[in-house]
Amino acid sequence: MAVKLDRFLKTEKQKAFGYDFFLDAESYEVWDEVKIGAEYWSEQTFEVTREDMLAYAQGVMDPNPLFNDEEHARQSMYGELVPHPLFCVVIAFWCISTKGRGSWIRSPGAINPGQRIEVYDHFRIGDVIRVKQTAWDRWTRRDWHYLTYKLDYYDQNDVLKAIWYCTLILPESRAKLMEYVKTGREG
Amino acid sequence: MEKLSFDSVKLGDTLPEITRSVDQEAIWLNAAASLDYNPVHTDPEWCARTSHLGRGSTVAHGMMTMSFMATVLSNWAYPVGGKVKSMESKFINPVPPGYVLTCGGRVIEKHFIGADRNYVTIELYANSHEGLRCAVCRAEVILP
Repeated sequence: MAVKLDRFLKTEKQKAFGYDFFLDAESYEVWDEVKIGAEYWSEQTFEVTREDMLAYAQGVMDPNPLFNDEEHARQSMYGELVPHPLFCVVIAFWCISTKGRGSWIRSPGAINPGQRIEVYDHFRIGDVIRVKQTAWDRWTRRDWHYLTYKLDYYDQNDVLKAIWYCTLILPESRAKLMEYVKTGREG
Repeated sequence: MEKLSFDSVKLGDTLPEITRSVDQEAIWLNAAASLDYNPVHTDPEWCARTSHLGRGSTVAHGMMTMSFMATVLSNWAYPVGGKVKSMESKFINPVPPGYVLTCGGRVIEKHFIGADRNYVTIELYANSHEGLRCAVCRAEVILP
């Protein structure tokens, strides 16, 4: 049973998104089943809203008025609300389904060793973002099992906005993943 | 003070540091903002039972630490129209609730590519209140 987090849910997407990462864990993609080179389009799109951008800036404790004050941003050289540089993170979690390809990103027991993000253009209010996932690399090091997916973010005009080389150290098999999940469900 | 620009910036220039206190409330807020509800961040009881990472406590999202380092960049470059081009981070030590992180950076490279494409490389760090290096990052920032 996941911790109750309802009091933190402010935006429409936060309220619609399930926060129990134990719930669909049987269906998560796992390290030893990934086919490197395979490409998948995410099932969901992310329509960028004002409240999404504001909530992300607040969640990373960034008071920059360009991220938080629409009037200030409008009068700046940017002319509009600016997303925090790591806004692509919330887009990925939203777009990647709770089941199947890419769902390993939700794995209990995962460790984050480091990430690479490239930004080509700001996300803007009204953009509708799709994510193309490419299974990029899978390797072992010191008994740890690493997986990288390349996530390409495209807007409604097929403009590439950002790339995230998303890497985690994962439970190496479904059996190992389910050990972590079982401990969570028994709580 | 000279206005920040690609021409004015010098190798070795430092970026103003920021400090962020990390507690469980902040981690939960970050989880909701990023939609990353992994129990290693959100579920103290699960962490105690699994002793994940050998700690028995939650840890902050690596992306939360990376976002603080991104803030160092945007505080510095965005007021003059700069753009973050890329960030590549490495998380060295976990950040449990109770840590206070100080993040800063230093210019280590200037790349002369052409107008609107010239960029600098910044070496960033996130250190705990006990002086432990928790993360490092190499970032590219386009400056006008």
